[in-house]
Amino acid sequence: MEVHIAGLAVRRGRQTVLSVASLRIGSGRVTVVLGPNGAGKSTLLRAVAGLERCSGEVRFDGTRQRPRLAMAFQRPVFLRGTVRSNLWLALRLAGVPVADREARIAEAAEALGIAGLLERPARRLSAGEAQRANLARALALRAPLTLLDEPLAGIDGPARRELLGALPAVLRAGGGTVIAVTHDPGEAALLADDLVILLGGRVHAAGPASAILAAPPDAETASFLGWDVIPAEGGVWAVAPGALSVGNGEVRFTLVAERLTVVGGLPAVAGRVAGVPCVARLQGGPPPSLGEPVTVAAPRAAARWFPAGR
Amino acid sequence: MTLWDGLAEAFRLLLRGDPYLLDVLRRTALISGLATGVALAVGLPAGYALARGRWPGRTLLLAAVHTGMGLPPIVVGLVIYLLLARSGPFGDLGWLYTPQAMVLAQVVIATPLVVSFSTASFQSLPQELDDLLRVLGAGPAARCWLLAREARLGLLAAVMAGFGAVVSEVGAALTVGGNLDGSTRVLTTAIVLEAARGEYARAIAFGAILLLLALAANLALTAAQQRER
Repeated sequence: MEVHIAGLAVRRGRQTVLSVASLRIGSGRVTVVLGPNGAGKSTLLRAVAGLERCSGEVRFDGTRQRPRLAMAFQRPVFLRGTVRSNLWLALRLAGVPVADREARIAEAAEALGIAGLLERPARRLSAGEAQRANLARALALRAPLTLLDEPLAGIDGPARRELLGALPAVLRAGGGTVIAVTHDPGEAALLADDLVILLGGRVHAAGPASAILAAPPDAETASFLGWDVIPAEGGVWAVAPGALSVGNGEVRFTLVAERLTVVGGLPAVAGRVAGVPCVARLQGGPPPSLGEPVTVAAPRAAARWFPAGR
Repeated sequence: MTLWDGLAEAFRLLLRGDPYLLDVLRRTALISGLATGVALAVGLPAGYALARGRWPGRTLLLAAVHTGMGLPPIVVGLVIYLLLARSGPFGDLGWLYTPQAMVLAQVVIATPLVVSFSTASFQSLPQELDDLLRVLGAGPAARCWLLAREARLGLLAAVMAGFGAVVSEVGAALTVGGNLDGSTRVLTTAIVLEAARGEYARAIAFGAILLLLALAANLALTAAQQRER
C-alpha cells in the first residue's frame, strides 16, 4: 500500500508541531522515520493512523479511505487477560477468520520469541517482553499498512541485539508497507529500506536509506546522523562517523588533543576541531602530546561540504 | 430505649417474614434497582463520550454533571411532579403517584453520579488503549464495551454510588410517589410515615432494614469488584 501525505499540518495551540508538504511512502517497503525526541515522529504516525486532528490529507493507494491498520504504540498497552487473548482480540477486531487466528498467533509469537509467554497475563510482562508482545500483536495482523512507534523501546542489551537481528526479516515477511519510527540512527540503518529524516517537525530528507546515510543532504541531518559538523570559512564540513584519522589526507583539520581513547577497539585521540568535539583514529604512529594541535584528516568521499547561507 | 427496641423490632419483622415489610422491601429493591440499571445504561456511554471525546462544550457538560451529583432529591421530585401533574406537559401519561414516576425521579438522581464515576474510570485507562481499538477498526459501541470491561473496578463503584443515592433518598419518592400503601411505599417513605405516627421503634426498624438492604447490595458488588482485581 502506498501512502501519500500532502500539506499535512498538526497544531498544538498556536504552535505547528508537524508540517509535511509532501511525502510518499513506497508500497511494500519498510520506511523508517528518524529524528530526535520531540521532532514530531509519533505525531506523524498518529496522523497517518487518523488519531490526530490535522489539516492536509493522507491518501492510501490514492484514496482517502483509511484501510485497517496494524499499529504498535511506544507504550505497550494490553487488555486484561493473557497475551494470547490480547492477540486473539486484535485478530478478531481486524476481521481475521477464526480458522486462521491460532496459526497467526503461533507464527507471530515464534518470530518475536514470545511463544513461551502466550499464557501469561499480558499486564504482568517485563518491559522487554511487553514490547515484543506489542510487536507480535501488530505483525500478526499482516495488515497492508503497519505502523510501529519505537519498536525497540524498553529493550536493552543482548535481547535488543537479538530482536534487531530478527526484525528486518520479520517486517518484510508480511509483504505489507511498514512505517516505523525511531530516534536511533543505528537502528534505522538496520531496519530501513527508505528513510525520512524529521527534525523540528519538518522533513529534512526522504529517500533510500543507503543514499541518505552515505550523503546527508544538509548539515542538520548530518549532525543528527552522528557526523562531525565542523565550521570552516564559507560553510561547514560534515565528516562521517569514524572517518577522521591522525595524519595527512584529502580533507584536513587541526585537532587540539585532549585525551587518548579507544573507538571501535582501536586507539584514538579525542579533542576539539574549531571548538567541536571530535575523535580521530591513531594510524600506528606515536600518540600526540595532549594539549597540542595535531593534523587530522578524512577521505574526500567521507566528507561533505555545505556552503553557508543555504 | 427506643433505639434498641427498634433493632429488636427489625429482627422480629425479618424473622417473622412480615408481609407488609417484605412487600415494601421488594418494591424498594425493584424501583431503586431498575433506576440504577437505567442510569447505568445512559451513564456509561455518556461517561465514555465525556472521557474520550474532544468536542466543544465537553468541559461545560462535565461541570454540569458534577453539579448534578449534588442535586437535592426534593428539587428533582418537585420538577418531575410539575412535569407529570395532570395539568403538566406529561400529565397524559398518568404516571404521577406510580412506581414509574419514582423510577424516573431516581434515574435523574443517579445518572449524574454514574456519569461522573464512569468518566473518571474511563479516563484512568491509558489513551493508547482506546487508540489501539480504534485503529483495529472497533466502532464506538465496541470500544465502550471493551473499555468498560477494563474499567470495571471503577464502574462498580459507579453502580454502588448510584444505588446508594436512590435507595436512601426520600424527598423525590414522597413527592412523585405519594407513599401509597401497596403501590408506591418504599422503605424511606415508610420510615417517614412511622415517624409521623410516633411509632419510633418501627421507624428505626425500617431504617435498620434499609441499611441491611444497602449493605447486601454493596457486599455483592464489592465481592465482585475485589474478585476482579
